[in-house]
Amino acid sequence: MKELLTELLMEDKTLIHVPFGNGFFDICNSVVVTWIFMAIIIAVILFLTHDLKVHNISKRQAALESAVMFLRGAVSGMLGEEAAGYTDYIVTVLFFIGLSNMVGLFGFTPPTMDLNVTIALSVMSIILVESAGFLRKGPKGYIKHFAEPMAVVAPMNVLELVIRPLSLCMRLFGNILGATVIMELIKHVVPVVLPAALSLYFDLFDGAIQAYVFCFLTSLYIKEAVE
Amino acid sequence: MLNISVVNIVCTILNLLILYFVFKKFLFGRLDEILKARQEEIDQATAAADKAIEEAKASKKEYEEKISFAEEEKEQILADIKKQGYVEYEKIVDDAKKKGEQIITEAKHNAEVEAYRSRDKFAADIKDMVIDAASKIAATKHSSEDDSNLYDKFIDEAVSGKNG
Repeated sequence: MKELLTELLMEDKTLIHVPFGNGFFDICNSVVVTWIFMAIIIAVILFLTHDLKVHNISKRQAALESAVMFLRGAVSGMLGEEAAGYTDYIVTVLFFIGLSNMVGLFGFTPPTMDLNVTIALSVMSIILVESAGFLRKGPKGYIKHFAEPMAVVAPMNVLELVIRPLSLCMRLFGNILGATVIMELIKHVVPVVLPAALSLYFDLFDGAIQAYVFCFLTSLYIKEAVE
Repeated sequence: MLNISVVNIVCTILNLLILYFVFKKFLFGRLDEILKARQEEIDQATAAADKAIEEAKASKKEYEEKISFAEEEKEQILADIKKQGYVEYEKIVDDAKKKGEQIITEAKHNAEVEAYRSRDKFAADIKDMVIDAASKIAATKHSSEDDSNLYDKFIDEAVSGKNG
């Protein structure tokens, strides 16, 4: 048990070693995995969108259109009318996290199990949330909103700037790490059949749920910021 | 797994941004173009359909007006014809009455004339007979008995002549 955790948490995740900078510029496993699935997803998108028509659409285009419209509808529903402009970014993040969580199915280590990735995601989210609020309310309104509903809670509101991305980051990281740890343990106890069944839950369902939760919370924060 | 590397965070952020731009440009951009074109077509078609409906309504109204006008006109014409027919009828009846009266008057007149004529003729006949009788009496010698016979004969002739 302890060895397993040590193995998972302390393994050397450096994949590309850059000879200068004393290891500072080393590229992690997670980033490389991200590159791989990004290359695949970009190729898929280019394939799916290479021949779009207005009339007499193919089944491929019909499926693509309805999938995109469904995702956009769901996400813009979470964002609300005022923040609907951020829909595209949220859909992208949904894809990014969802796929990151699910690459475990193909034998890769999920990138979201690397703290660096979840930190990057939550930093992006908080930047988006705060800039959305700033753009909406202007400098004065942005400063003022920290003192709402009353001045006493201002420190809390300022703390939220850190708490929100931290919780986003840790929730995602912890869930994926936990799922992977449990899967590893199950694989040790029952090597056949059961891991395949449980992988459906931990890799597919949990991965999708966590991606949804991350996007839902980010949307909620943005919606709150632009109100 | 737990050590934090700024380079990797930046790399992930860049990855995310690249993915975002790819999504934005190729997936959403291309799809939006198609959807926009389709929406424009739908709008145009809807506008055309609305226009057609408006036009149809306008022409329907026009025709309804025309029809009601025609109805009125029909009524008018029928009324005129009836009136005219009535006047004509009156005139014909009037004419017929007048003609009838005229015929009756003429007939009366003719009958009167005829009556006068036959009376005149009868009178002339009587006159001739009287003259004849007188001349006969004058021509012959006669007794009172003869005279009496003559008178009887005369009267007989007169009666038979009148009857005949």
